[in-house]
Amino acid sequence: MDIRQEIHDYLVRELAAERDSFASDENLLAQGIIDSMGILNLVGFLETRFAIKTTEEDLIPENFETLEALRAFVERKRAG
Amino acid sequence: MDFAFTPEQLALKDEVARFARKELNEDLARRDREHRFSRENWDKCAAFGIHGLPFPRQYGGQEADILTTMLAMEGLGLGCRDSGLIFAINAQMWAVQTPIWCFGSEQQKSKYLPRLCSGESIGAHAMSEPGAGSDSSAIRTTAVRRGDRWILNGAKTFVTNAPMADVFVVFATTNPARGFMGVTGFIVEKNAPGFRVGNPLEKMGLRTSPMAELSLEECELPLDALLGAEGGGAAIFASSMEWERGCLLASCIGAMERQIKTCVEYARTRRQFNKSIGKFQSVANKIVDMKVRMETSRLALYKVAWLKSAGQEAVLDAAVAKLHLSECWVQSCLDAIQIHGGYGFMSEYEIERDLRDSVATRIYSGTSEIQRNIIAARLGL
Repeated sequence: MDIRQEIHDYLVRELAAERDSFASDENLLAQGIIDSMGILNLVGFLETRFAIKTTEEDLIPENFETLEALRAFVERKRAG
Repeated sequence: MDFAFTPEQLALKDEVARFARKELNEDLARRDREHRFSRENWDKCAAFGIHGLPFPRQYGGQEADILTTMLAMEGLGLGCRDSGLIFAINAQMWAVQTPIWCFGSEQQKSKYLPRLCSGESIGAHAMSEPGAGSDSSAIRTTAVRRGDRWILNGAKTFVTNAPMADVFVVFATTNPARGFMGVTGFIVEKNAPGFRVGNPLEKMGLRTSPMAELSLEECELPLDALLGAEGGGAAIFASSMEWERGCLLASCIGAMERQIKTCVEYARTRRQFNKSIGKFQSVANKIVDMKVRMETSRLALYKVAWLKSAGQEAVLDAAVAKLHLSECWVQSCLDAIQIHGGYGFMSEYEIERDLRDSVATRIYSGTSEIQRNIIAARLGL
């Protein structure tokens, strides 16, 4: 499973239909790709697709700012 | 699924309803007309233990679990006709006390929670801005660190409790480049330099719960005014919304139950064409529909509480409950007026006030439109 690709495809499909792709280090928060509505859906997707459980403490910019940050966040959650 | 509450939980609900009926309804029509908050009733509720219900004993609370707390708030809605007072209490409990409890430092908890639980202090929550309502990423109030101070600049609106509050949980962006995740929470005391509360706003309903705008002009705060982590505002807001949706709406369930009792009593005693109007199906069916709305709303709401108490995610279910309950409450208020006819339209009979108060439920804590957006997204639309 390529976590980064799956999250990438979800973002393109659900949160940024006008875009074809994202770079790994592109700032998703600054561009409003992930906003306060979008994060609810994104978290739901991450929890369902990758069988992880997020907490309120996880809702920090370091975990959601870029595609790479999202991948690392999911990896950390799955590891422990 | 177990639908049973414990005898102790039900006894608490009854006790709260009895207290509220006896102590909180006096002179309400006048207070509503004058947009007047009752500090006396606020203090009575605090002394009864309402404000501290779910909070730890070490901070002056009662340590009640979420289901018990919701039942108590339902009892408050059942006995107290002053929805403004209930709204003011809920606004403090879930949007001020809970964030401090869940995200505050030990020093912040010890300093603020006991006084908020006891009623000595009043708290307010400031998120909305003239240009940022449902979209928290549009917040323009800024906070920058300057030496050993945070400096806040901006304006807040629709701040419940602001005119009488001593302590405020204020959200500002510390990093606009991070959108809504650059938003950070701060605890602001009313006498902070550069902090000003505007005049009370006139409202359609919930008039006994004063609301005002805030102005922050080079507002200086100590570094330890930071609530939670820098950029942690989204987490604080999400957390307080979940509590607020569950417990504030529980009060509305109580109000719906109270309203049904009022309508049944009226339909049984009011006579037209030589029989009680409840014998006319067109009247009886309205009350039946009110009952169905209340029961379905209660089921939806307590499902959320059950999920939360089991540690499960409840975003979709909370949106369903919020949407359904608030729409039901407004429709039932319209029906209650219709059942009472001309009397229902008169302020003196206190039927119309519920309708004015109920409209706010479709707006606060996430509008009905936002709840539909959440549900639609979760359905994959």
